Amino acid sequence: MTETWALAALWLGLALFAGLVSIWLRVATALSEIVVGVVAGAVLGTVLLGVDKEWIKFLAGAGAIVLTFLAGAELDPEVFRRKWKEATAVGLISFFAPFLGCTAAAYWLLGWSSDASWLAGVAMSTTSVAVVYAVMIEFGFNTTDYGKTVLAACFITDLGTVVALGLLFAPFTLKTLLFVGALVVVGLAVPWLTPRFFKRYGARASELEAKYLLVFLFGLGALATWADSEAVLPAYVLGMLLAGTVGRDHVLVRRLRTLCFGLLTPFYFIRAGSFVSLPALVAAPAAFLLMLVVKVATKVVGVYPVTQVFRSPRQEGMYTTLLMSTGLTFGTISSLFGLSKGIVDQSQYSALVAAVIASAVIPTLIANAWFMPRHLLPKAGTAGGETGAAVRPAPSKRS
Amino acid sequence: MYRKILMGYDGSEAAEKAFENAMQLAKNNGAELYVVTVVRLLEIGDDVETEAVVENSREYHRKLLTPLRHRAEQAGIKAHFEVAVGHPAEQIIFHADRHQADLIVVGDRGRSKFARLLLGSVSKQVVQYAGRPVLVVR
Repeated sequence: MTETWALAALWLGLALFAGLVSIWLRVATALSEIVVGVVAGAVLGTVLLGVDKEWIKFLAGAGAIVLTFLAGAELDPEVFRRKWKEATAVGLISFFAPFLGCTAAAYWLLGWSSDASWLAGVAMSTTSVAVVYAVMIEFGFNTTDYGKTVLAACFITDLGTVVALGLLFAPFTLKTLLFVGALVVVGLAVPWLTPRFFKRYGARASELEAKYLLVFLFGLGALATWADSEAVLPAYVLGMLLAGTVGRDHVLVRRLRTLCFGLLTPFYFIRAGSFVSLPALVAAPAAFLLMLVVKVATKVVGVYPVTQVFRSPRQEGMYTTLLMSTGLTFGTISSLFGLSKGIVDQSQYSALVAAVIASAVIPTLIANAWFMPRHLLPKAGTAGGETGAAVRPAPSKRS
Repeated sequence: MYRKILMGYDGSEAAEKAFENAMQLAKNNGAELYVVTVVRLLEIGDDVETEAVVENSREYHRKLLTPLRHRAEQAGIKAHFEVAVGHPAEQIIFHADRHQADLIVVGDRGRSKFARLLLGSVSKQVVQYAGRPVLVVR
């Protein structure tokens, strides 16, 4: 066990350092952990890090599953029920534009295989719901029709990503049918069963709620991988279905976040970063740059007109659009799925992860440099005049 | 002279001084006091964590405002408290516009030049962009 404890201490030491860096630089911990993983992989090597040890793979995989579940559980079911038509239209455009654009670019411009190209399309199609949510609060749009539609649309975009990831590369055998059938049955039963179970056995020291959820998440995850699919697909679907119960139980969500950020996700993101080959990336940066440019361009082409249909002020619309290009979690999960399944090689994986990271960093930097915060402030010489801030509704509190 | 005074509060020593000054001004002028504290988002965020940051920070800022509420009540000042989300300078100016404040009061932390270069200065940005009088308390 000595080696195991030493390795665990090393990984959590790296996670602690990554967490501090994320606080100092005010960036997402996931981003910091991936970068620390890249550096650790380059300096220590993946063998010394023990990235292929079963227990590390388990913790990393569990991190991806719980994180994906929590991402799905952030959905506001009432808003979604009211706005599902518009949200589905916007979300599908936001998914398909980069998905098809990046797939085509990888296939025809980079000469990747068809499977690798599809995987690239999936990895680049994502949107970070929480980032868009934060932007909506900042602008005070989260209470407007426009804000609610865009927020609900982000879930459709990510659902498109996980469905594509879960089913596009599955061989479509009897196993796939059984997996989809089980997912449908559980999906129908769990929203009925969960509130009853929580009411009867919840709020006890033995934390039965967390165990109950993990049984379904791991069980469906096992079924998904047995069918050559991906465990995050049922996790995200389950999260969305339980958004009305689990998502509203703040205490439970906080406990799951503690488990997730405190122990599990560092293993996932550091491990994902450690597989990035810097020499391969430096030797052939074209793939990374092309994926980044195509992703942002297709998001802008797909999403910006929608913001204008809703008559969102242009700068706010562009800001929202740029931030819809971010998506670290699902981008990294998709890329690592491709590497572990042999769909992409290490240099392709490196290009995809670098593009995912850049798509979180660069659009945000552009948006902040060009659009924030000065676009909301009074123009020089127009003291007290009309400003972006002055025309928007007041920010409201969600909780 | 002043009917509505808005102040930005972040719990720092400078903000404490600014709050004292704002209360004094509000009392002397019989003005309403609006206190805004701002939850600052991650510069580069990601799923789940961003929402967690917003939730945790809102709770932290609400707790930050609780003692101020009591102090304002004891001083007999009509005060309003709000937790905003976003860039501090932008939110302070936005709320000042929204409430048609006659004066904005902010504290200056007195950071070093290097720290200002890295982090920027909220008070400086408020002075630069606000379309109404600003009092910076040191």
